[in-house]
Amino acid sequence: MKNGKKYTVAGVGVAIVIAIAISFTSYLGQFEQAENQGDNVPTSTFQAPFLGSQSATLTIVEIGDYQCEGCKEWFDHTRQKIIDNYIDTGKVNLTFIDMAFLGVDSFNAAMASYCAGDQEKYWDYHVMLYEHQEGIDSGWASNERLKSFAFTLDLDIDEFSHCLDSKKYYNQVKLNLEKATGIGADRTPTFILVNASGEQRQIIGSQPYNVFEKVIESLL
Amino acid sequence: MQTSFRLVFTKYEYFILSIVISISLFFTLSIISEYIFLEPYLVFSVYTETAFNFLLVLILSILAGIVVSMNIFRVKLAKKSKSVGASLTGTIIGASAGACSCGPIGFSVITTFGTAGSIATAFLTNYEIPLRLISICILIIMLITTMRAIPAECKIN
Repeated sequence: MKNGKKYTVAGVGVAIVIAIAISFTSYLGQFEQAENQGDNVPTSTFQAPFLGSQSATLTIVEIGDYQCEGCKEWFDHTRQKIIDNYIDTGKVNLTFIDMAFLGVDSFNAAMASYCAGDQEKYWDYHVMLYEHQEGIDSGWASNERLKSFAFTLDLDIDEFSHCLDSKKYYNQVKLNLEKATGIGADRTPTFILVNASGEQRQIIGSQPYNVFEKVIESLL
Repeated sequence: MQTSFRLVFTKYEYFILSIVISISLFFTLSIISEYIFLEPYLVFSVYTETAFNFLLVLILSILAGIVVSMNIFRVKLAKKSKSVGASLTGTIIGASAGACSCGPIGFSVITTFGTAGSIATAFLTNYEIPLRLISICILIIMLITTMRAIPAECKIN
């Protein structure tokens, strides 16, 4: 009996060590992947709207999910500073690739953003989604809420509803997810920074502005 | 109560063990929860809205180090392993909360287990703070129980 307990304790201990090892391996693997694949990311194959000048010498590709907490943190603390200092000055542009994997509402929110894009309000809708983000699949991005966001932005509701209900952009969102995973993204947010000469660097996670500033300056 | 602390942590190996457990857990959870980034630069970042959660990670790591090492001492002393199981359970609950979310662990779980994985990660993410608080409560209860038990078991042995 005592031996049985010993084995149970030992088993739990081993399980913890394995879990910690897996998490470290997973993160280390992620960095290796970033190093290996960062040179050849086919960003031109993504069809997504750009924020900023098309002639900017540096592009930031954000791979994100509308239900991801880390993406919201980046949105709240870093994005606006990059817009003010680099995008509005014409040095950098930004594009967003959906990696809608966290739940059903991630997919719906991503499709809705493209429906808003049909009415030239992609980025306004993008901002609206992150400003109203709540718990994963908690109903904050249900069809009704998505339509109410569209209403708030003065979109043509009939056109938007038809687009969303018919799942017009289902394939686009699915394709983006496949492409994002295909280039080695295994978490959100992941950022790929590409300059005019094709040099690329990745930033993984919701990192603070000063990290982006350093990497952007090194690529400009 | 103080006697228990003195009995365990005046022994060099248990003192070191508790520090190793606390630091390992703190760094692992901080990296997973994105308070520490290793690439492209080593960065430590806590935003105002994540400060409370960071504090819970810190408390959890320190408590886990103390409770687990005290219970290992107790197991060796009285051959009672039940308490170690409970303290490890508390640690695992706290460590799992928020560890999934949008990170590679969550991505692997969701891609492997589909909808079930998605529901599990959503639960761990949405209830991150309550789960960490529960795990801290379990560890505090275990700490009090252990501190009371050690002097008595020492007398018997």
